[in-house]
Amino acid sequence: MTPVIALAIKDLRHLLRDRGAAFFALGFPLLVALFFGFIFGGDTSQRARLAVRVVNLDQGPAGAALVDAMGRDGSIELSASDDPTEAADAVRLGKAVAVVTIPRDFSAASDAIFVGVARSIEMVVDPSRRSEAGLLEGKLNQLAFRQLSERFADPAWMRTAIANAKQAAATARDISPPQAIGMSLMFDAIQRAIDAGFNPAAGDGEAWTPIRISVSSLDTPRTGPRSGYEVSFIQGIIWGLMGCVTAFGSSMASERSRGTLARLTVAPITRAQVLAGKSLACFIACLAVQAILVAFGMAAFGISVERPLMLVTACLAAGVGFTGLMMFMAGLSRTEGGGGGLGRALVLILAMIGGGTVPLFVMPRILLAASRVSPFSWATTCLEGALWRGYSAPEMLLPAAILVSFGVVGFAIGVSALRWTE
Amino acid sequence: MLTLRNLRKKFGDLIAVDGLSLRIEPGEVFGLLGPNGAGKSTTIGMSVGMIRPDAGDVTLEGFGDPMNPPVRRAIGVAPQSLAIYEDLTARENMVFFGRLQSMRGRTLRRRVDLTLEMVGLSSRQFDRVATFSGGMKRRLNLAAAMIHEPPLLLLDEPTAGVDPQSRNSILELVRSLAAQGVTILYTTHYMEEAAKLCSRVAVVDHGRLLAIGTVPDLVRTHGGTTVITVDRGDRSERIETSDPVRDVATIMADPTRGISGLRIDRPDLESVFLNLTGRSLRD
Ligand SMILES: Nc1ncnc2c1ncn2[C@@H]1O[C@H](COP(=O)(O)OP(=O)(O)O)[C@@H](O)[C@H]1O
Ligand SMILES: [Mg+2]
Repeated sequence: MTPVIALAIKDLRHLLRDRGAAFFALGFPLLVALFFGFIFGGDTSQRARLAVRVVNLDQGPAGAALVDAMGRDGSIELSASDDPTEAADAVRLGKAVAVVTIPRDFSAASDAIFVGVARSIEMVVDPSRRSEAGLLEGKLNQLAFRQLSERFADPAWMRTAIANAKQAAATARDISPPQAIGMSLMFDAIQRAIDAGFNPAAGDGEAWTPIRISVSSLDTPRTGPRSGYEVSFIQGIIWGLMGCVTAFGSSMASERSRGTLARLTVAPITRAQVLAGKSLACFIACLAVQAILVAFGMAAFGISVERPLMLVTACLAAGVGFTGLMMFMAGLSRTEGGGGGLGRALVLILAMIGGGTVPLFVMPRILLAASRVSPFSWATTCLEGALWRGYSAPEMLLPAAILVSFGVVGFAIGVSALRWTE
Repeated sequence: MLTLRNLRKKFGDLIAVDGLSLRIEPGEVFGLLGPNGAGKSTTIGMSVGMIRPDAGDVTLEGFGDPMNPPVRRAIGVAPQSLAIYEDLTARENMVFFGRLQSMRGRTLRRRVDLTLEMVGLSSRQFDRVATFSGGMKRRLNLAAAMIHEPPLLLLDEPTAGVDPQSRNSILELVRSLAAQGVTILYTTHYMEEAAKLCSRVAVVDHGRLLAIGTVPDLVRTHGGTTVITVDRGDRSERIETSDPVRDVATIMADPTRGISGLRIDRPDLESVFLNLTGRSLRD
């Protein structure tokens, strides 16, 4: 085992000391990630805001407050409309993502919150822009919840709401008198607690939550990248993988032309051990490049990994796939010139059509089909699946398996093409 | 120690080694002397499993065929074309080559220290090889061959392209290794080196073995006679002799003829090669 590890360490050291190779494995990918991330519109706060029409039919304070909150939200570009038909047309024409209609009884429902009247708003969305609608839906829930918390902290409003509830309980026909008395006592107790300074919206109110509101925005499925950086960092990774493949793919040829291959062949190690050492180095470099770029994207550009376990799977599969491609290239490039140049050009083209230049999800269908011959394209799919497509294990299986197969086939072809002894 | 039997190797139409047989005895410094292109490096390559012979076989006594990786543990090779990593330091190179031999830990560290010391590179061990002079690279190339203390060393033109100082230290090192009992196959196209170092020499040309023996034997059988050249004014006289001491005494004893110069050319390996091929070694 020692010789294999020694070979891998030597090759990694070589990569780090070769400024050109190190730049193409890490520096250039980072530049790609930053540049394209910026071009694609950076993070969500800088992205085009969601155009939303609001039709407020409610005359009361709750409706106005919600409109106000939506207007202040950075991710929503709000325009008010009095005419529901006009607003619906705006959505149909693509001028707005959604129409939000606040019903006439919204304020009344808010005041009657303890009585069990549901507060509801209506939303009409553009079916082709469901992902943005999902985003908006979450946003509205969040705003409404915040509004409610503010209300709970307001003793005057609480008094009205509780009075309403008491009234409703007293006049309700479907509850028995003891129940009505019990409820009345309970509402009095709440009122006294609030008068004494108890704030149900504060953290210590955990045990006493008068109503549960589930915020669905957190669980809204994501079908698109949250920011340009989630696209561009994947592109960066593609270029980084390409850098690793070319660096290690040509290292066999350069060992030959520099004469050091002679010492590897005269050492008491097998050819398989030499290849294992090279492969291990390439595998480690591929993993490192992916880890560094993802970590950097997370730390500095707000990238979040939706499926960490799937990300690990994607990175491992890419490591195997591109180590195989490296060996394929090594087999092709017996000399540093000639075949070596051809190998590099081939890998470059594969990276370009595989998502390095144009992100896969904006590719025209025909180009996307063509890009599937490139292992880089499958790596892009795996990484997208882990970062923002929310792939489950079965969904990850196919692209990862294809990536690994590329690796195995490339490895086999490369190894059989490598010339060893004279 | 090492037996080569009827080795033959063709590169395309060119016959690089043509039915070469040699037997290197344990503990000797064996010289392979021949001009560039004689097939020396190809022979070394076949001796260590780097080049597959078209015909013939190689046996390392007590170990087997060097095509078999574990057998190569007994051999250290310093290839003619430098086989060291320029972007690693001298020490990193040595540690790497030691690991290839499955050495590790303290044994490896100590051996690295010692070999770097032997080739005089201790003070530069943490510098990258790219910053080294030609002579230093040669010495490191040699050190890499002996990191694992092999009983057999194959040194292919270990002094090619080095300054006189490095050359002397390399020759010194080979001598001291031989004194420690290491068997050495030494190829060169410098007859002085072969004459100084080697207990036996094989003269090769065009892949064929022309003569083999100790240096005095070769000179006696193939070197021809000693030539005395006497200059008298603008005239010079050439005398072939088998007893130069007596003849010189006779010439000097005759006061009547004015002698302006005297040169004695004793036969050497150069004349051996000239006599065997009609060409000079340095062509
Ligand atoms: N890999 C090779 N391919 C083609 N010809 C070669 C190769 N290696 C050596 N030769 C040729 O074989 C002959 C012997 O070469 P070599 O063994 O290197 O000689 P030497 O080491 O004595 O100078 C030379 O003519 C050389 O050009
Ligand atoms: Mg040679």
